[in-house]
Amino acid sequence: MRELFHEITSTLRNNKLRTALTGFAVSWGIFLLICLLGAGNGLMNSFMGNMEDFISQSIAVEAWYTSEPYDGYQSNRKIDLNEKDVAYTAGPEWADIIKNVSRTTAGRSDTLSLNGLTVNGYLLGVTPDYQELNKMKMAVGRFLNPDDELQQRKVMVIAMSQAKELNPKDPENVLGQWVSAGSIAYKVVGIYYTDERDWRRSVCIPYNTFKGIYDVSDKVQSISFEVSGPKTVAEHKAFEADYGAALKRRHHVSPTDERAFWIMNGYTSNMQMNQAQSILRMALWILGLLTLVSGIVGVSNIMLIAVKERTHEFGIRKAIGAKPGNILNLIIAESISITAVFGYLGMLLGMVACEVMDKTIGQNSVDIGFQQIQMLKNPTVGVDVAIEATLVLIVAGTLAGAIPAWKAAKVKPIEALRAE
Amino acid sequence: MLIELQDINKTYNNGQPLHVLKGINLGIERGEFVSIMGASGSGKSTLLNILGILDSYDTGTYHLDGKLIKDLSETQSADYRNRMIGFIFQSFNLIGFKTAVENVELPLYYQGVPRRERRARAMEYLDKLGLTQWAGHFPNEMSGGQKQRVAIARALITHPQIILADEPTGALDSKTSVEVMQLLKKLNQEEGITIIVVTHEGGVANETDKIIHIKDGIIGNIEENKAHLAWGGSIIK
Repeated sequence: MRELFHEITSTLRNNKLRTALTGFAVSWGIFLLICLLGAGNGLMNSFMGNMEDFISQSIAVEAWYTSEPYDGYQSNRKIDLNEKDVAYTAGPEWADIIKNVSRTTAGRSDTLSLNGLTVNGYLLGVTPDYQELNKMKMAVGRFLNPDDELQQRKVMVIAMSQAKELNPKDPENVLGQWVSAGSIAYKVVGIYYTDERDWRRSVCIPYNTFKGIYDVSDKVQSISFEVSGPKTVAEHKAFEADYGAALKRRHHVSPTDERAFWIMNGYTSNMQMNQAQSILRMALWILGLLTLVSGIVGVSNIMLIAVKERTHEFGIRKAIGAKPGNILNLIIAESISITAVFGYLGMLLGMVACEVMDKTIGQNSVDIGFQQIQMLKNPTVGVDVAIEATLVLIVAGTLAGAIPAWKAAKVKPIEALRAE
Repeated sequence: MLIELQDINKTYNNGQPLHVLKGINLGIERGEFVSIMGASGSGKSTLLNILGILDSYDTGTYHLDGKLIKDLSETQSADYRNRMIGFIFQSFNLIGFKTAVENVELPLYYQGVPRRERRARAMEYLDKLGLTQWAGHFPNEMSGGQKQRVAIARALITHPQIILADEPTGALDSKTSVEVMQLLKKLNQEEGITIIVVTHEGGVANETDKIIHIKDGIIGNIEENKAHLAWGGSIIK
């Protein structure tokens, strides 16, 4: 092994230009592969990073206006969900599929004020499981609990961005203070985490508290629940159709009316996103590998020329006792060494480029109106990709060397010696 | 008999069939110093290639040291070449990007001899040929005579049964030619190595003990030349 290594290094050292050209082709291929994968990862991370904040594993239903006249009612009638719908959803008809039903009230804009500082708030009456369903992370304090609900406590959970407006010096100190919303004061029991990308500004108060103060009707703004039956996208679609049809019957809405009820399915959104992600990942790999193929063809090409150039040398080697296998090994080992060393170099450079991307355009965010999104978030590749790329390299090196090596091994010594 | 050729025929089929060797019968004893002499196209190079297992023959038999050399695989013939035959070429055939000592030790590399031992033996042979201080030099830094001496060291290092020299002085000036032939003669006399020289120059052939004339693919007369008198005892260029 060491002998072969010595043979290779001396050959490569004595053919510097050729080695450099070959190496460049490989380095470039791997460099592009890593950059592509890094940028792709960044794109995916930014999607996931931005999406995972509001895609929850649940289904939410809201009612809207009808789009068709039906059953004696005119078109454009406002439909409202109500407590009976909640009871129906949680009832025996759907017991096999639907779990953990919760509801929220319609929102209400109010001005929050504390010690003369004010901020706009969107008051929402919610049940305690709202936090879990909406993936809210608490910065300080706690979320609403069942006791708040039972005792109709005047407590609220506000966003960190609002806390900063109310007490710019020490936002966390807002916890435990009484903040007035309009004419009513609530004790802040928790502040949930938001960042500059977060569009949520809801002020959560107990559902029953909200109902007692602002809206004594049995109207419900949205019903959320988890499902355990449907697994595939098709099954979810079927469930949505069944459940939607039931709601339409209850509210005398045409079965073909697509506007009256709005069903937001977090499960299928997630599935579609995962699918999109894996398609994107695969597309990137294919693109990267195609780039690499041009590198391999380059190596193979240069090795072919090199073999031609060195035919006489191989003739000498054969005359003094080199077996065809020796020549085969020499060429393949040479081509693997070139691809491995220069490929590794290209990989390192690619990783550096990814870091540079991370530090420059990765820090830019784009304002899309209601929130800021990062175009590339953490556009880097992991150790697993590095190992995969290394394996690809070794295979590539063997492939690139195979044809030229076979040609060289086949040449008869007498013909090779005649070549000049 | 170290070398025994019986009715060797060889035809090249490059477009027009060319019958190069037409029934060669030849025997060479261990320790002989012979030359095969002939004009260009006489078949002497083909004969040498067959003797060196670089080329195959069509009919007949070739025994080298008792072994039948026929229909060998590339791997087998490479092994026989490596262990039994040392080559000296007109154009030296040193590998340009290897130093003198690396060139000399290459046959041992293909025998799987460890690096340190290889280096020691190569240095020993370079020393024998007076090239110690040239060990680290590349072929293009050496004169023709020096290059041919490196090639001779490379041919000797595996202790071969025979040395085959194909026009060993063809690329050298007359003074150096004399030196190289003297060296071969010395190796034959002092170490008893069998040497076969192929040449078209009478002066070179005259340095050997036996001259085998070949013409149109047939062995002509075989001249004993122990006294080295036939050409006046010197190399005529």
